[in-house]
Amino acid sequence: MLATGLIDRVIDAALSTGGDFAEVFVEEKTNSGISLIGGKIEKTMSGRDYGIGIRIFDGFFSVYAYTNSMEDEEIIKTALKAAAAIKNSKITKRRDLESVNIGNLVNPIKISPESVDKKRKIEIMKRAYESAKNYDDIISQVTVGLSDYKQKVLVANSEGLHKEDTRVRSRISIQSIASKDGEMQTGYFAPGASKGFEFFDNLDVEWYGRESSRIAKTMMNAEYCPSGKMPIIIDNGFGGVIFHEACGHGLEATSVAKGNSVFAGKLGEKVASELVTAVDDGTLMNEWGSANIDDEGNSTRKNILIENGILKGYMIDKLNGRRMDMEATGSSRRQSYKFAPTSRMSNTFIANGKSSKEEIIANTESGLYAKYMGGGSVNTATGEFNFAVMEGYKIESGKITDPLRGATLIGTGIDVLQKIDMVGNNLAQGQGMCGSVSGSIPTNVGQPILRVSELTVGGRDGENNA
Amino acid sequence: MVKIMLKKDFTEKVMEYGKSRGFTDMEIYYSSGSNLSIKVFEQKIDNYSLSQSEGVSFRGLYNNKMGYSYTEKLDDSSVEFLVDEALGNAEIIDADDEEKIFSGSKEYVKIDSYNSTLDDVKEEEKISFTLKMEEEAKKLDSRIESIQYCVYGDGSDEMSLANSRGLSLEDRSNAAFAYIGVVAKEKDDIKTGFGYKVTNDFSELDPGQIAKEAVEEAVSMLGAETVESGNYRIILRNNAAADLIDAFSGIFSAERVQKDLSLMKDKLNEKIAVDKLTIVDNPHLENGFASSSFDGEGHATYRKNIVEKGVLKTYMHNLKTSEKDGVESTGNASRGSYKSSIGISPSNLYVEKGDVALEDMIKGVDNGILIIDLQGLHSGLNSLSGDFSLSCYGYMIENGRKTRPVNQITVSGNFFDMINNIEEIGCDLRFGLPSDAYIGSPSIKIESLSIAGK
Repeated sequence: MLATGLIDRVIDAALSTGGDFAEVFVEEKTNSGISLIGGKIEKTMSGRDYGIGIRIFDGFFSVYAYTNSMEDEEIIKTALKAAAAIKNSKITKRRDLESVNIGNLVNPIKISPESVDKKRKIEIMKRAYESAKNYDDIISQVTVGLSDYKQKVLVANSEGLHKEDTRVRSRISIQSIASKDGEMQTGYFAPGASKGFEFFDNLDVEWYGRESSRIAKTMMNAEYCPSGKMPIIIDNGFGGVIFHEACGHGLEATSVAKGNSVFAGKLGEKVASELVTAVDDGTLMNEWGSANIDDEGNSTRKNILIENGILKGYMIDKLNGRRMDMEATGSSRRQSYKFAPTSRMSNTFIANGKSSKEEIIANTESGLYAKYMGGGSVNTATGEFNFAVMEGYKIESGKITDPLRGATLIGTGIDVLQKIDMVGNNLAQGQGMCGSVSGSIPTNVGQPILRVSELTVGGRDGENNA
Repeated sequence: MVKIMLKKDFTEKVMEYGKSRGFTDMEIYYSSGSNLSIKVFEQKIDNYSLSQSEGVSFRGLYNNKMGYSYTEKLDDSSVEFLVDEALGNAEIIDADDEEKIFSGSKEYVKIDSYNSTLDDVKEEEKISFTLKMEEEAKKLDSRIESIQYCVYGDGSDEMSLANSRGLSLEDRSNAAFAYIGVVAKEKDDIKTGFGYKVTNDFSELDPGQIAKEAVEEAVSMLGAETVESGNYRIILRNNAAADLIDAFSGIFSAERVQKDLSLMKDKLNEKIAVDKLTIVDNPHLENGFASSSFDGEGHATYRKNIVEKGVLKTYMHNLKTSEKDGVESTGNASRGSYKSSIGISPSNLYVEKGDVALEDMIKGVDNGILIIDLQGLHSGLNSLSGDFSLSCYGYMIENGRKTRPVNQITVSGNFFDMINNIEEIGCDLRFGLPSDAYIGSPSIKIESLSIAGK
C-alpha cells in the first residue's frame, strides 16, 4: 500500500524534531450503500476512501496529521509539519521495519462484497421489504438499507512494526412503520457481521423483516410506560447496551488515564454484583466488532474487564498506556485515517449466568421487561447513563403482560452493576455503531437476560392530571 | 491556508468519459478542507492535530436514473472509477421520481462566509488562548477537580460545483471554535459542565467567558437530586430547546413527507402549533454557519418561515421533491459531504425569539423545572411518532425562584403535542454547535411535560 522505503522516510521525517515514537497508518476502503423505500431502490452510493494518518509522541504529548495526497513529497511534508509541533533535543532512532504477515484467522471472508452483482444485494433487500410490509395492514412504510465495505489498512511504526489487515463488513437494516389515526410507531433491526456477501446466505432476512414489523405493530397498541423506580428485566442480545453505556465507556483508557472515569483507580475492587463477569473480545470469529489487529497494529485479544464483580482490567491504547504505566490491550480503534486511534470497545458482553429466562421472570412480582433495547449514551465522569427501550412489557405477578412504549432507563454505572441480581444463560450479541472521540466504529454489545433490582424508568405518567 | 483545487482538466476528463458511457447529464462536486486543533491538559499541550483533505463526488443521469459515486483518491484511475461506479449504481435505481441536473437560478445573493483575519492569527496566540481557558477554569472555583478536555480548533473549507448544463459555482467558509469540559467535585459528588463558542472572528473568543459557562454549570449542579415523578411546568433553556428542535427538524423534509415518513403530511397551511411559534430557515443569516447563496444542487437559497404563527407554511424541498409536489424548490437540497447523495436539510434554522427574558419566565412558575441539558437525543426520541423520553438535568423552580439542582430524571412527551402547549418564548436565541445545519432556539416554556424521578 505504501513502499517500505517511503514509510522509512516518513517515519524519519516524523522523528526529526525529537519525537520518541512515530506511526504511519494507511487506509484504502471501498464503500457501498443501497437504500430502499416503499419497495423501490431509492438511492445508491459507492466510492473509495483513501488517506494517510501520521502520529508522533513526545512523552504524553501527541501530534496527529492526515492527508489524502498520493504524492511522496506531499506525504513527507505532512510528517514534517506534524513534527514541527515537537521540539526535543533528544533524537530517537527508528528501528528497521519487520514486516509480519498476520493472515486472517479472526475474520475469514468467502465472497468479497464488491465482486457481487448489485442485483443480488437488491434481491435480499426486497425479500426483507416484502416480509416486513406484508406482516400486517397496519404497516404503512418499510425502509431497508444494505451496506458493505472492504477496508485495507497498513500500520507501521518507529519500533519496527509493519502489518497489514483487511476488514470486510456487511450489514442490512430494516425499519418498519406502523400508522393508525394520525400516529406512527416504529420497529427496527440491523444485523451485521465481519463477513462478505456470504453473511446473507445464512441470514433469515424474512424473520428480521417480520420481527421489525411486529415491534412496530405491538408498540402501536401499547400504553405509555409508567414512571419511577422499579425492577427491570433486560433480555439478551442488544440488551447488552446497558453494560456498554453504564460501564464499558468508563473502562476505556480514554477516560481512565486522566481520572475522568468513576472506574479510575478501582482495579481489584468490587464494582459490580458477583454475578457479573464482563469481557471485551476482539477475536470472536466474524463478529461485527472483531479484527485481526487493532488500529495501532497490536493483535486483538480477549480482555476480562470484570470477573465475578471484581474490576480486572481496562481497555488500553499505547498513548494512554504511557500515562497509566500499563500495557496496551489491542483495543486501539478509529473510524478512519481522519482520526487518531484510542482505546475503544470491540465485542463487549456480560458472560452467561445460571438462571433461566423463565425463572427470572417468574421470580419478579412486578416491573418492566425490556425485550429489545435502542441506543444510549453516558457521561463517563459522573457515570450517568441513559438508554431507550424499543419494546417493553409490564411484569405482573411473575408474568409478562401488556406492551409498554416510550420508556428510557437512566442510572449511574457502578450503582446499576451492583444491582444486577439475576443473570440468565442465553447469551447473545447485537450490532451497533459506537460514537466517541475516535469516530464511529462497529461494536457488538451482548448479554444473557438479566435483572436489575431497581432502575429509574422514564415513562409518562398521569397524562390527565396536567 | 493552503489552497488546494481540483485539477482543471479532471472535470472535463470525467464528463468526456461519462458521455462515452451513455450519461446524458453529469455533475462534479468537489470539496477540500484544512483543519487544526489544539488540546491542552494540565497546562501542557496534550495533542496537536492538523489535516488537509479533499474529495470528489460524481453524479449523472443514465437512462434518466441518477447514479452517484465518490473518491478521495484523485489519480488517473479515478476518472473511470467514478463513471463506472455511478453507472452501476444508476442501473439498479427503480424509483420513478424524476431526477434533474440543475442549470442554475437566475440570481444568487452574495454571501461571504470567509473571514480572512482568521488566517492571520498566529499559532502562539491559539496555544496561549487554549492554555488560558484551562487556567481560568481551574481558578474560577476551588471545587473544580479536573478538566476533562480543553480544545481550540479552526478550519477552512472550499467547494465547487460544475455540471454539464453549464452551471459552475464556488463557495468557501472558515470557522474557529473552542470548548471546555470541567469536572466539579464536593465530597463524593461529581458533576460536569460544558462551555463553547463558535465564530470566524478570533477576537470574539473569550477564554474566561467559555470557562465561566462550564464552571458555573458544573458547580451549580453539585448536590443535585431527583424529584417526585409527575407532570411539571417545564422551561427548556435555549440550548436544550435547540437540541430538541434539531432532532425533530427532519419532519419538515418534503422527502420524508412524500415517503410517508412524517406526520406533517397533509398539514400544509394548517395550524400545527401555538400562535407564538415561528420557525425560520434562513440561509442568509449573518454569521450563520450554514449560510450559503446556493444549495447542494446549485439552486439559489432564500429565507422562509417553515412555521409561521403556528401554521405550517412550507416543507423543505429540493428539485426532486418540488417537482413531485408541483412547487418551486426551497433551496434545501443538501450534501452532507462528497460521500452523500442529495438529500434535504435545513440551513440556519431557528425558533424566532419572543420578548420574555429567561429570568422573567422563571418568575412566572410556581412549581416547575428548568431543563438545561438533554441527553441521548439519538436514541430517546422517535422523530416519526414524535415521542421522546430523555435523560436531563436542571433546576427546580418553586414560587418563581430556582431553588435546587435536579438530576437523574427524564422528561417525556410528544413533540407534536408539545408545540401546542408552549406558553412563552424567550428573547435569548442561541445556536448549538454547527453540523450540516445550524440550529437555534430561545428558551421555551411548556405548560406540562412528564418527569420521571422517584
